[in-house]
Amino acid sequence: MTTTLTLPDFSQAAPSAWQPGVDDTVKCVGIRQETHDVKTFVFRSIEPRRFAYHPGQFLTLELNINGETVNRCYTLSSTPTRPDTVSITVKRVPGGVVSNWLHDNLKVGDDVSVLGPSGEFSSFSLAPNAPKYLYLSAGSGVTPLMSMSRAHVDMSSNRDIVFLHSARSPSDVIFARELQAMSRHQPGFRHAVICERPGVDEDYAGYLGYLSAPMLELIAPDYKEREVFCCGPAPYMTAVKNVLQSLGFDMTHYHEESFSFETLNAASEETADVPAGDADSSSDGFKLSFTKSDLVVSCQPPKTLLAAAKEAGMRFPSSCSQGLCGTCKTKLVSGEVDMKHGGGIRQREIDQGWILPCCSIPKTDVVLDR
Amino acid sequence: MSQAPVNIRELLDRRKVGYSLEAPFYNSQEVFDADMKHIFGKHWMYVGVEPDVPEAGDYMTVQIGNQPILIIRDDDGEVRAFHNVCRHRGSRVCTHDKGSTGNLVCPYHQWTYNLEGKLLFAEHMGEDFDPSKHRLKPVHLKNVAGLLFICLADNPPEDFQELVDTMTPYIAPHQIANTKIAAQIDIIEEGNWKLTMENNRECYHCTGNHPELTISLYAYSYGFAPSAETDEGMKQYEEMVKERHAKWEACGLPSAEVDCLDTKISGFRTMRMPLDKEGQSQTLSTESACKKLLADFGDAAIGGLSFWTQPNSWHHFMADHIVTFSVIPLSADKTLVRTKWLVNKDAVEGVDYTVENLTAVWNATNSQDRFLVEESHKGSKSPEYQPGPYSPYTETLVEKFSNWYINRMKTLIGD
Ligand code: FES
Ligand code: FES
Ligand SMILES: [Fe+2]
Repeated sequence: MTTTLTLPDFSQAAPSAWQPGVDDTVKCVGIRQETHDVKTFVFRSIEPRRFAYHPGQFLTLELNINGETVNRCYTLSSTPTRPDTVSITVKRVPGGVVSNWLHDNLKVGDDVSVLGPSGEFSSFSLAPNAPKYLYLSAGSGVTPLMSMSRAHVDMSSNRDIVFLHSARSPSDVIFARELQAMSRHQPGFRHAVICERPGVDEDYAGYLGYLSAPMLELIAPDYKEREVFCCGPAPYMTAVKNVLQSLGFDMTHYHEESFSFETLNAASEETADVPAGDADSSSDGFKLSFTKSDLVVSCQPPKTLLAAAKEAGMRFPSSCSQGLCGTCKTKLVSGEVDMKHGGGIRQREIDQGWILPCCSIPKTDVVLDR
Repeated sequence: MSQAPVNIRELLDRRKVGYSLEAPFYNSQEVFDADMKHIFGKHWMYVGVEPDVPEAGDYMTVQIGNQPILIIRDDDGEVRAFHNVCRHRGSRVCTHDKGSTGNLVCPYHQWTYNLEGKLLFAEHMGEDFDPSKHRLKPVHLKNVAGLLFICLADNPPEDFQELVDTMTPYIAPHQIANTKIAAQIDIIEEGNWKLTMENNRECYHCTGNHPELTISLYAYSYGFAPSAETDEGMKQYEEMVKERHAKWEACGLPSAEVDCLDTKISGFRTMRMPLDKEGQSQTLSTESACKKLLADFGDAAIGGLSFWTQPNSWHHFMADHIVTFSVIPLSADKTLVRTKWLVNKDAVEGVDYTVENLTAVWNATNSQDRFLVEESHKGSKSPEYQPGPYSPYTETLVEKFSNWYINRMKTLIGD
């Protein structure tokens, strides 16, 4: 059943703003096919609401898929300068339960529960006054950088922005037309695309291959003066960091979004090219990676995440090791775990993506925010 | 400057009924220590509301003298209080004003207690260690239709149950559990807590000091010395009160005055009073500050239910919002006055209400009262200060406060 939402009365004061971490119900009011495997879903709030957030933040969808409630975070591709709707841009991922479900099932008129904006990755909060930015993205990692760019263009902020996007082929470039339009409207905004291969577009005349040091020096020769924001699959971000470091870039001006489930899953699925299920049987367990300590270890069930981290020599604040004290509480960035806690965590924290690694056994590869 | 030692017993014995208290009651350290021990250590104190801890695992902390207290909602939804003191080496277990937690975990060495205070886990304590001997110590707590009172005594005054029984039907219609705290403002008055309380118990000072508050108050509700000019007005006011009470009572809103401020250990007073003009709320316009009422009252003009408790609180319940005040002594010369404004929990800020409008009257009034208290406190330090007479018409409740205080101290302090 579809109810129509009334339009806001634009002559009135704006309704109250979206609050971080607060539940809301939104209605899907539009779906756009961006490329053959990417869709943008547009939402409006059912309660009168002004969507306030930093460009680059994400929201959490709470979906009911086959009778199970799943929470997934998606970076907002929309811009807070158009505060009456929000949108997410989702790429189909082979074996990706949630992204495929969204593509195949979510319809205009459907209501979805969401948890308000969160996340730290935003040039508007991390480096709001930088005169020059370099936005680097690959695949659906484009979304937070698109959000930031749209906000700048909408505000005519006249920042010098180089938007450099990497894609498989020209037909995989998300927002291609809009990027062209933005470059035309805003003198300080330039964009360039790097494609792995020409694909069906045989007369493609742009950059080919992967982002490299010479390419960067060509596209943004003044890159050392720029505040860099990067988002994409983990291998892409590692490659970008290597390029920048090899050029002696001052990494205090480098920021990355390590969050997106989507891009992380896409990365592992793309590189492994096997359904995630098959990885289970590999004898050395699941991959357990940490965002802050740059460590990757393997964790074989029934070993807990905490035990695996400790074996690898990581100092991990903990005490009871039984899920009682909550000392080890950590944000689960991606992956799924089996957690048997003893009261050291509350349901609403679990809903927000926290786990107790001391009593959690991996069910997939896992990334922890530590 | 050295002061002669204070003999509290003597001071208590020579207190003159109908007069303000002698200076040492307001500014000596000995009296302050005795107040903390006997008044705040042995009576029920108002410390917060249910919406301070809306969900299981939510906690708040409060400091009473040198006693850190922790109030938490357990998994069954019940609100409990504990001494916020770890049974290991005494660290405060919860260190923030408010928060939310799974179990209660001491930040020092992670001793872990469940929400019933049972010690679940303590590492490195050896075989012989008996966790059951190291529970968090409970504090008595009573939830009076959503208002939280605690008592630090081992054996709290039993007559508090009369307060609970009497007040529950008065307060319940305002549905505190279904509200949220729209604003909380703490102010610290540079004055003794008894001056704060005395100031609250009279409106003699209102006409001269509270232009915002008096918009919604009927002048005749303050009490007047009988005189030819005011007798008629007084009579009319009393008639109106009678009429409104009948109407409100008929809608299930208890309204009649109950006053046992100085006749019970757990002294209190209540009454539902008409408000002037639109009659809806203590706001600058006298109209509701919040469009979503607290409950389905039919009409927003149900006046204001006021509730005063000894030793440390007062509250006003209206159709659209509730204002509650708790007074916590910090030292002989400093007092915390904590004001909370509650509205329907579904009310949306900026749509149904604005904090500015909601808090305008009592923000202004609080700062005026702070000035009055601070000035009395300064004056009470003069060697020339001497107790002055209370008005028998407008300061009867001040006398009841002081009388209650003197009698309680006389009983508790012994000879
Ligand atoms: S170490 Fe205590 S909950 Fe994990
Ligand atoms: S003082 Fe609390 S655990 Fe040591
Ligand atoms: Fe006052």
